[in-house]
Amino acid sequence: MRHVGAIAAREVRSLFVTPAAYVLLAGYSVLAGYFFFVGLGFFVQRVQQVQQLQMLEYLQRMNLNSEVIAPSFGSFSVILVFLIPLVTMRTFAEERANGTFELLLTSPLSTWEIVLGKYLGVLAPILLLVGISGCFPALLLLYGNPELLQTLAGLLGLFCYSAALAAIGCFASALTQNQIVAAVVAIIVGLILYLLEFLAQLAPPGVGQELIRYLGLSSHFQPALEGVVRTQDLVYYAIIVTFLLALMRAAIESLRWR
Amino acid sequence: MRGSGLIEVEGVSRRFGDLVAVRDVSFRIERGEVVGLLGPNGAGKTTVMRILTGFLPASEGSVRVAGHRLDSDGIAARREIGYLPETPPLYPEMRVESYLRYAATIQDVPRSVRGARVEHALARCGLREVQQRVIRTLSKGFRQRVGLAQAIVHEPKVLVLDEPTSGLDPVQVLEIRRLISTLAQDEGRTVILSTHILPEVEAICRRVLLIADGSIRVDGSLEEVRGTDTLEAVFLREAAGRSERPDPGEAPDGERSA
Repeated sequence: MRHVGAIAAREVRSLFVTPAAYVLLAGYSVLAGYFFFVGLGFFVQRVQQVQQLQMLEYLQRMNLNSEVIAPSFGSFSVILVFLIPLVTMRTFAEERANGTFELLLTSPLSTWEIVLGKYLGVLAPILLLVGISGCFPALLLLYGNPELLQTLAGLLGLFCYSAALAAIGCFASALTQNQIVAAVVAIIVGLILYLLEFLAQLAPPGVGQELIRYLGLSSHFQPALEGVVRTQDLVYYAIIVTFLLALMRAAIESLRWR
Repeated sequence: MRGSGLIEVEGVSRRFGDLVAVRDVSFRIERGEVVGLLGPNGAGKTTVMRILTGFLPASEGSVRVAGHRLDSDGIAARREIGYLPETPPLYPEMRVESYLRYAATIQDVPRSVRGARVEHALARCGLREVQQRVIRTLSKGFRQRVGLAQAIVHEPKVLVLDEPTSGLDPVQVLEIRRLISTLAQDEGRTVILSTHILPEVEAICRRVLLIADGSIRVDGSLEEVRGTDTLEAVFLREAAGRSERPDPGEAPDGERSA
């Protein structure tokens, strides 16, 4: 496992010498900022209406976390379904198309080292995306008093959710040398997992429904937005990521001597 | 290694679907030999080299490098090999020096000597003047040298070079050949290089392995092979089973395996 760091570091450096990384980060900032600004604007409007109507009781129940931050993080999660595959699509596909995969596979590296190095390498830009997401609620600290811990729980949820999407993206990239194919596959799989909640609502109550709900991303992401970090959700993300890392290893191992 | 050869290939075959690219190939290479793997385009040279370096698994047969089996002891076997694929495995966005440092790291060069080995490889391959250049901006000749530097940076026992001079201008061809000869003579490295350029074999190699249609047709020292006929006559006779005559300008072989 000695070489994981070297592979990850190379991955990160290569990403940040291309304009693609900056376009992605800037694009995300603009989109996320838009959603946040609009959400905050509506909130301010509601507060003014409630004040005019003198509904003081209602006014006391309004809070920044549930009416601005949580819905914003919800919107961010939709953007990330589309953006993260654009970060991960190059991981393996580019190496295969460039011929550098030959260097990796003929070096004295274990397949685990390659897989973990690549995955940790893409977690770095993802951490940045989550960091950008955290800047917006941080602005609110200047003007209001949002719950800090609830916000941090939301950010942790956003990170775990993104890490799961990144694992899906890397696995898609391990299957092809075409980056567009990798991105499209990852977006579709990510969207299906995101939207599985609706299918669960349609399904007849029972084990099947629970299973569908459990597999979906949103049922594990929502509690964190409400400030609840549940062990079962962390276990879910750990299972998803581990499972996908094992699949990536199998995909690469299938190209090797056995 | 208990009187065994540095490289032992036994009964290796490789199929791609219905196509048999390499058919029951066996040979042994001793320490310090310089072997030319000769053959027309599409004969299976690249496939043989990819199998030797552990990039492609064989469908049947076994390969040992310095006593380590590629299938069960792959990491140890791969550590002994430096490989320059047909397309040098370069990351275009990296600088020459940091690329070589990365290659040295994943090739298990200990941290304490890494700097020195990189320096040595840079000097050996005449890359000092471009060591801070971004690989994308280098000429084809320089890229080939960076590829070669990557193959020697960990000072492997065996160098596997796939058409190291293809696509270079005559001056560059001479430079690369001189470099390979020096590596073989001064440093005593075992070299296996593939080519379809006959004078190249006569200039560098001591031993010839002629491969056509996936099988070894001729295996002997350069003197033995030329004892009866010119190398060209032998080549044409052995490759005659194929309809096309070798043409150095043709697309390189091995693409069917890409």
